[in-house]
Amino acid sequence: MSFIEVNEVSKTFRVSKRSAGIPGMLANLVVPKYEKKRAVNNISFSIEQGEMVGFIGPNGAGKSTTIKMLSGILYPDTGSVRVNGYIPYRQRKEYVGSIGVVFGQKSQLQWDLPVIDSFELLKAIYRVPDEVYQKNLKRFMDMLDMSGFINHPVRQLSLGQRMRADIVAALLHSPQIVFFDEPTIGVDVVGKETIRNFICELNAKDKVTMLFTTHDMQDIEKTCKRLIIIDKGSKVYDGLLSGIRDAYGTTRQVDVEFAQDCTVLPIEHVEIKELDFPSGRKKRFLFESREVQIDSLMNSLLADYAIRDLTVSEPEIEGLIRKIYNGEVAQ
Amino acid sequence: MISLYPYFAFAKKSFLGRSAYRFDHFMGILNTILRIFIFWEIYRALYGGRAEVDGVTITMVATNFILSLGLDSVFCVNDYYLPNRIQDGSIATEMLLPVNFHGRMLADNLGNALFQLLFHFVPAVAISVIFIGIAAPADPLMLILFFLSALFGYGVLWTISFVAQMLSFWLINVWSIMTIKNVFINVLSGSMIPLWFMPDWMSGIIRFTPFSSIYFTPVQIYLGQLSLSEILQGFLIQLFWIVFLFSAGMFLWKKGQKKLVVQGG
Repeated sequence: MSFIEVNEVSKTFRVSKRSAGIPGMLANLVVPKYEKKRAVNNISFSIEQGEMVGFIGPNGAGKSTTIKMLSGILYPDTGSVRVNGYIPYRQRKEYVGSIGVVFGQKSQLQWDLPVIDSFELLKAIYRVPDEVYQKNLKRFMDMLDMSGFINHPVRQLSLGQRMRADIVAALLHSPQIVFFDEPTIGVDVVGKETIRNFICELNAKDKVTMLFTTHDMQDIEKTCKRLIIIDKGSKVYDGLLSGIRDAYGTTRQVDVEFAQDCTVLPIEHVEIKELDFPSGRKKRFLFESREVQIDSLMNSLLADYAIRDLTVSEPEIEGLIRKIYNGEVAQ
Repeated sequence: MISLYPYFAFAKKSFLGRSAYRFDHFMGILNTILRIFIFWEIYRALYGGRAEVDGVTITMVATNFILSLGLDSVFCVNDYYLPNRIQDGSIATEMLLPVNFHGRMLADNLGNALFQLLFHFVPAVAISVIFIGIAAPADPLMLILFFLSALFGYGVLWTISFVAQMLSFWLINVWSIMTIKNVFINVLSGSMIPLWFMPDWMSGIIRFTPFSSIYFTPVQIYLGQLSLSEILQGFLIQLFWIVFLFSAGMFLWKKGQKKLVVQGG
């Protein structure tokens, strides 16, 4: 039995469907039309204690819905969820005391009150012992560099500051499990880096189990070893981050800068792109590693042309993910 | 075991939060006083100098308005507590707190009500009593029973709102439902038209609704119009409505959670 166990879970929403304009409005008033949207379709996965898992997918893939079912907010239509021995949506009140959730798009903080007041309220709600609270607060504030705005009302914080405050708010009661739903959305480069480092350290030192959704692949590359990808409600990949390259990243790319303008004769199975049009000095060669041997390509290029510079690169994870989203790779 | 500690924290927060908007608060007191005076003047004009109509003295009318409109200022249940949270999607973060949602809602309202009792009810009633006058409570026991009955009255009002708010799981926008509900409360609870003036057939019907037990039962107890057995009956009716409406609300809450759609991503 794993720590987090998601078993063939589905969730369907009813979406109001209405044609545009006044006729559509009138028709909808008399006979409302709905269509069913399957947000999550038969998803299963399991996560062990202390794991940190990236959970990604295009907009509308069902990530947030899954997170909400895992955190006890939504009931699944079918299937079952079990986390740390609890059924989240049935035992919500008991369960949520042991988890922390950060919704990047929704704040848990009291809009009008200083950040510290919200923290104090959460301390009371979760009944965090004083020494634990002080220790956590001091540690998190140092790690996230928050001393500058802890007494400011939440409504006057910048987005990056608010996000950091929200992360601390979700962690004050030392939860064993944390779900991050886009914790870096709208945060600048420096802020993102701070948040990533914080998350890594929390996982490494405190053995907190984490599920992390984001649209920024760098977040995942810098934090998670394991990756779950969902698309249109279904799971399309579950495995190591490095496994993505092995599974989908068979394209190789060679960028060549020639000593002078030249035209390259077509080569079988290799796609050639001009990088420095209209001059023909820089070209990119794209090919599948199983179809073309890289050394033979190199040899023929070096033999036939004068080459000034040459770089070989593996595809970026981000590009691969994009291909998976676009359905360009076989799943 | 249910710990009350988090709920005290919620109540305290809403109590303290009320002091943030001072101007609004003073205007609120003025509003209550104006309403009492306006109704008082209307009924004084209707009485046309008579001391009594149909056995109802003008002092009883004044007492009815001061007490029921005074209580009305304390009984400020936030009808949009759940609807707002469903509408803007913050219900999601709300559900992450390890507390009963209805307990949290009640705590929030009670913190508010306590603030209103101390800083709204007391000054507004004091000023009205000085300028209009009020019947003395029938005896000290009745005054105590009045407060007890008022507490139950709050329970009835709160549970009505509780049930109505639960409908927002299905309807999302419940403004019209709330407006209709409040019209019923205003007209049938005696805070606009004292129920003594209702025709017999109508007061017969009103007795079977929860509305008359919000303000009118406490007022009748205060004036000593009810015998002890009638008071007991009044309490039982109030408790019946509280239990019935609360159970209905909890039923809807359980159903609604399964229907819940978190709006906005």
